Amino acid sequence: MSPEQEQKREAIRKALREVKNLPTLPGIISKLTKMADDPDTTTEQMGRTISKDHILAAKLLKLVNSAFYGFPQRISSLSSAIILLGFNVIKSLIISASIFELMEDQDMELWEHSLGCAVVCNVLAKRLGVSDPEEVSTAGLIHDLGKVAIKMELPGESEQVSALVVSRQINRFEAERELLGLDHAEVGGWLAKSWNLPAKLVEPISCHHDPSLAKAEPLAAAIVHFADIVIRGMGYGHGPDIWVPALAPRAWELLRLKPVDIDEMLAEVEEKLWDVKGFSLDIKAEAQSATQVPKG
Amino acid sequence: MNMSRLLVAGSPGFLPPAARTLLEAKGYQLKVCEQLPEAVALVLEDPPDLLLLEKGFVGDGDQRLIKAVSGCLQKGNIPIILVLELTELETELDWGVYPVDDIVTLPLVPSLLLARLQLAEARMMRVFDNNPLSRLPGNTSILRAMQRVLASGNDYAVCYVDIDNFKPYNDRYGFSRGDEVILMVARIIVNVIEEKAREGSFIGHVGGDDYVFIIKAEKAEEVCRQIIDNFNMVRNLFLNAEDIAAGAFVGLDRRGQETRFPLLSISIAVVTTGEGRYRHSGEIAAAASQLKHYVKRLEGSNYLIERRDSCVSGQEMSAA
Repeated sequence: MSPEQEQKREAIRKALREVKNLPTLPGIISKLTKMADDPDTTTEQMGRTISKDHILAAKLLKLVNSAFYGFPQRISSLSSAIILLGFNVIKSLIISASIFELMEDQDMELWEHSLGCAVVCNVLAKRLGVSDPEEVSTAGLIHDLGKVAIKMELPGESEQVSALVVSRQINRFEAERELLGLDHAEVGGWLAKSWNLPAKLVEPISCHHDPSLAKAEPLAAAIVHFADIVIRGMGYGHGPDIWVPALAPRAWELLRLKPVDIDEMLAEVEEKLWDVKGFSLDIKAEAQSATQVPKG
Repeated sequence: MNMSRLLVAGSPGFLPPAARTLLEAKGYQLKVCEQLPEAVALVLEDPPDLLLLEKGFVGDGDQRLIKAVSGCLQKGNIPIILVLELTELETELDWGVYPVDDIVTLPLVPSLLLARLQLAEARMMRVFDNNPLSRLPGNTSILRAMQRVLASGNDYAVCYVDIDNFKPYNDRYGFSRGDEVILMVARIIVNVIEEKAREGSFIGHVGGDDYVFIIKAEKAEEVCRQIIDNFNMVRNLFLNAEDIAAGAFVGLDRRGQETRFPLLSISIAVVTTGEGRYRHSGEIAAAASQLKHYVKRLEGSNYLIERRDSCVSGQEMSAA
């Protein structure tokens, strides 16, 4: 890498280190606020809703793993985070998350992609008998954290990347490397690490395009990598970049899937994705009606 | 020199420059927030030592911020000082809606504001017998809470919680991991009670791995069950994979001999106070200690509720 590139990388790294708040969907916020106001809502129900939003889920994990709550780099599942933080803190978190109420179509797509990836991770992790499948699906849910951070903190560069994807017909990952000297997987990994998230989450995020880099959690990284490809192949969340990333041979070796596994897995995934589709239509409808009715 | 971190939440320009200068000269580190989400995020992620809050801050944002502060477990008692117009006191304010520690009126007088902040801090130190780790009230408050319950004559459940095999865990994993486990159990208890039995409840930390909570007797069973369920759900996050696989860990017993200890679990001994069974908190403690002796001998996480005529017990549902 040339000194210039190295310098640029350092500048970007610095800009991204400052990311404290990531945007989240307004639809899910109003849904959660409604749930929070209802005394009959249980923590579990709330958790299920939160698990459908990759940004909010990431914030929740960041909070419970911060030095403040005393469990540094320990908590990797959403249900545990909710048990330890409690209902009140989560309600407050929703308020602080509502700072970003602007979302564009692209983000809706990314959100669907993240959610879909989490579904595939979950199905795959269960099939492979991983001890905590929820952890792997959380990693799947937040694996593209870096994309959100780049878009928020470096909007200009992010647009250039999109333009490069279209003009050169390359995928986003390559365009990021070319233009920024780094990619969203790496950025997501830094961010997750700086939030004290456990290695179980950091590695699958930072290695989701190249699981052979994973040292501590190779299987989780391989699952997220494969799930990312599967869900892209199914048409979830491509943006301008229509190319499905290549499958890493190392991941394929680790997963040891047979054709029949894949058939069964896809059937199961299809079924679960119906829920996701339903949910995202719900949110879209709510977001639309919210913009039509003046706020009281 | 004061080193307190003061969060000021109010509309732009609400803190006069003179007041700001005086507070900063006295060593307060000020963080001024004009937006609710920003203020709430700060309370959640990096709680201040004191909060100076303008009444009517972004609509009912003031109340939401107060809630966020009182939900902040890591810093139990952040004193809140509410700033309002004198005229607002003419129609009495509902202090239940504004559970604050003190008020100051507009226009802000720098020296008076400083005195109020200092007093609030001094008062907090005085009443603070809280456990430094969990920030839960300590023994003095526990005794007071028990006497209050006894005097009320209503049926309350006094519940003693402790962690089984905590000492060998601490020996094997080290003090800081041990502290995490103590915090985890405190958090679970607080959150379950907040959700299921908030009204009239009390939670205290005797010290080490011993806690006491007091709730209405009819809630005891539900709360104990939920605490044990939640404990079982998060417990493995505090254990190494090899110990989980082995289902036990090896440590030294009291006589220094190598022994296999079962993995962490919790025991809850519950004494109910109804029908004037006890006159003094010491009697409750004695009854609980007998009960605890019994419940601790059972394998896994358990609770045992002693009522007038019978005992209700519950074994852990499953450790999955």
